[in-house]
Amino acid sequence: MPTDVPSVNLSDPWCNMIGVSDEVELANDPVGRVLGTADATPLQFWTAVTPGSYLQLDDVVVTKRDLPDREPVTIAGVVTQVRARHEGAQFDSDVFAIAEGTLPALVQEAAEITTTRVDPELYVPPAPGAVVHRATGAARDAALHFDRMERRVPMGTGRDGVPVFLNADFLDGTRGAHVSISGISGVATKTSFATFLLYSVFRSGQLGADGTNARALIFNVKGEDLLFLDHPNTKLDDRTRAAYKLLDLPATPFPDVRVYAPPRANDSSGAPDVASRLTGVDSFYWTIEEFCEKRLLPYVFADADDERQQYTMVVHSVTAHLARHAVPAEGGISIDGRRLGSYGDMVDHIVDQLTDDETRSTWAGSAVNMGTVNAFARRLIGSKRDLSRLIRGDLAARRPHQIKTAESAQVTVVDLHNLPDRAQRFVVGVTLKTEFEDKEKAGTGRPLLFVVLDELNKYAPREGSSPIKEVLLDIAERGRSLGVILIGAQQTASEVERRIVTNSAIRVVGRLDPAEASRPEYGFLPPAMRQRALLARPGTMFVNQPDIPVPLCVEFPFPAWATRKSESGPPPAETMRSIVQGVDPFAVVGGRSGSSDDDIPF
Amino acid sequence: MFVDAWDPSYGASFEGGDAADGPGSPSSAQVNTDVEVPADQWAPVDVPARLKPPDVVFLVDGVRRNDAGLWTAEEDGQSYAGLAASYAAGVVRCDLHNGRAELAGARVARGLFTASPSAEDVTAGSVRYEVHRVSGTGEASKLPAAVQPPLTALEIDISSEARNHGSDGADLLVVDGPLRNRRQLPRTIGYIKTQQKQYLSAALTTVVTSLKPAQRTPVFGMGTVWGGWSWYLRLPGASGAPWAGIVRIECSPDLTPDQAIELAELSAATLPRFASSAYKDPRAPQNLVPIAGLERRLRGMLGDSRVLHRALTTATSRLR
Repeated sequence: MPTDVPSVNLSDPWCNMIGVSDEVELANDPVGRVLGTADATPLQFWTAVTPGSYLQLDDVVVTKRDLPDREPVTIAGVVTQVRARHEGAQFDSDVFAIAEGTLPALVQEAAEITTTRVDPELYVPPAPGAVVHRATGAARDAALHFDRMERRVPMGTGRDGVPVFLNADFLDGTRGAHVSISGISGVATKTSFATFLLYSVFRSGQLGADGTNARALIFNVKGEDLLFLDHPNTKLDDRTRAAYKLLDLPATPFPDVRVYAPPRANDSSGAPDVASRLTGVDSFYWTIEEFCEKRLLPYVFADADDERQQYTMVVHSVTAHLARHAVPAEGGISIDGRRLGSYGDMVDHIVDQLTDDETRSTWAGSAVNMGTVNAFARRLIGSKRDLSRLIRGDLAARRPHQIKTAESAQVTVVDLHNLPDRAQRFVVGVTLKTEFEDKEKAGTGRPLLFVVLDELNKYAPREGSSPIKEVLLDIAERGRSLGVILIGAQQTASEVERRIVTNSAIRVVGRLDPAEASRPEYGFLPPAMRQRALLARPGTMFVNQPDIPVPLCVEFPFPAWATRKSESGPPPAETMRSIVQGVDPFAVVGGRSGSSDDDIPF
Repeated sequence: MFVDAWDPSYGASFEGGDAADGPGSPSSAQVNTDVEVPADQWAPVDVPARLKPPDVVFLVDGVRRNDAGLWTAEEDGQSYAGLAASYAAGVVRCDLHNGRAELAGARVARGLFTASPSAEDVTAGSVRYEVHRVSGTGEASKLPAAVQPPLTALEIDISSEARNHGSDGADLLVVDGPLRNRRQLPRTIGYIKTQQKQYLSAALTTVVTSLKPAQRTPVFGMGTVWGGWSWYLRLPGASGAPWAGIVRIECSPDLTPDQAIELAELSAATLPRFASSAYKDPRAPQNLVPIAGLERRLRGMLGDSRVLHRALTTATSRLR
């Protein structure tokens, strides 16, 4: 716990007077008084600011209301709007007379306070004229409900430079799960916040063993930004280190990262397709055998589950036929007496069989007309170019090539940025499905698996249906109990499936597009904050969590890990073992690299 | 033809006679028009170019409001009228050099004006109406005039206080209305917005009506009860009617003619920049901008009349 935040007796979350003692008030000059020219309500009121002091947005204040026959009520809140005006001026042009010194006027500032906590829970308005104090220390923690959080994950500092926390109960599935991050691409720093949040979960120690054992699966969709999570950031300065120290976090890169990249296109060796990171990258692919056996064909089609599409019937019957009849043959498969050694061969074979009148019914069933078959064939042929590098028959099946977080490092980064759209969907869909099925089989919610997925609107759009969307919906609705936590990011929450957004306990907003900010998906932002979201700087996020009625403005520190090649320090030692692969070529196949004790093959 | 700039509910900036002729009733006062220049050489006077206007100007004003009319019930069955009034006086300190106008002092008082011998202070809610006993029969119609002396006293108090704190020795104090018994204040001028009496002869009146903005007439002496030196000044922003924007300014008769002329020059250099504009003030340009602002502040300080009326009703019903 940071040293400047006084500790609160957590065993008694209902501790008296939410930490506001008389000493606190005496040490703190009043910052204003509740004003009476606007309605003061239990949930929102205005404060006139004492001349010579100031209140800024997000400041935390506290006031007290004395009641007859019972203890006083403490009302704490955050500043959600501030205004200043000339009292005594009637016309806009009076400001010139005032500045010239001919018209007497008074500058009066007032701040709108949105209540965050009333203790005891007696919803009475503060009395106009009541003294308002700035809340510091325990009173601030109480106002923001930090004192009731048993496990609090630091997520940055507030505008006042003091740490703000996330209630871990709403992150790990205890009382809620999933994070939804929205904001304009580039300036909203959605991915940076997601990775910082992960870092904080792993390194803060607030989740105990769950935090240490947790795994993360990160899909890197843009640039090679996330490929350097385990490299120190050379631009890290003392100020950033101090910021990490304030949050009680070490300023180091992620310690245990494994990066997967697709094989290079038209390269038979299967070397990973990355440009900037040269060490510690594994390639991932699926063998044709796996493709048939695990019924991955539907993931090739973005809209395979859409009821309106006739050809989905064909997709499912072909999938079933492949699963039933394909026989493994050295990486490839053998079907109908033919060996198929590549995805292209397989597609050609399927199309041949479907267009042949004699074999069509065995592949697609009898009630399928030629138009439907052609629709299927056209799409399948179109997928050849995108998927042939991912579904292979020519690479060793025994070589580790699958993405499995349980056998991987703490953080698994899957690089998709070089892949075309269809291939990205295929990888995300299949990987998530596999991970989710593994979790279902294990039947336990531990270890936690955090899934970071940007551009959620592409994978789970509001309209239509697809196998990938079904997997994501499954995670959103059942993942909480299975320990799968989705950290989804998107430019526009309004374009993401509603059930995924509503299932997210924690909603985060960076800089928003003006048209987007007015949509009902951002109803949790008060009007003033909605306006501020339009000009939020990179590194500033508004975080809404269920037990605090007002979103908190958070500034999270600059990453301690490199986010691009130019700022990356030396790579960690483990990844130096091989130039192209993190896997030691001499290690036992299937064994975990670096865990030398398990090497002996019994 | 000219439209008077003043809102009709305030009357005109001069009263009586035809609008074009200026103030109606000629004054019976003895007027000495040979103070600055001989009467036959009267002409509009410009502000001397070398004159440096004061950096700090104090403006004093008071406001009053009748909160309630009351009736007393005496033991002998008689009844006296009473007036509960709130009044406030304040000073604006205009620091023209630094561009700051601030309320240098303001005070609110409340009084219960009555001739009743039995009346006592009334405490209505959190405020207290102090009894001011009026001599004579105390008819209701005469009571409003009784509020003026305490208000003037308050204005004097507050203006000397303000000067004690923030005077640079070269400032100017502008009092709204005739000086009357405030003439002992140093470097003070009375500022009269409404012209009721015609002090000058017809020949000299043409000098007044021919004034251009920021020009003044020569100083003349007045032999009235309150007396003093006086001069006319035209403020800028008037409609162009002969008497539009004309104000009369007076200073203490205790001053020498030279001192009076110096004050007249200062006033002509200072006051025009305070003139208000017609669309903002119903009494433009005579109602000066700082005074208008001050009056608004003071009226705000008087409190809400409905609240006070209700508090008075409650308080008096409790006394019965």
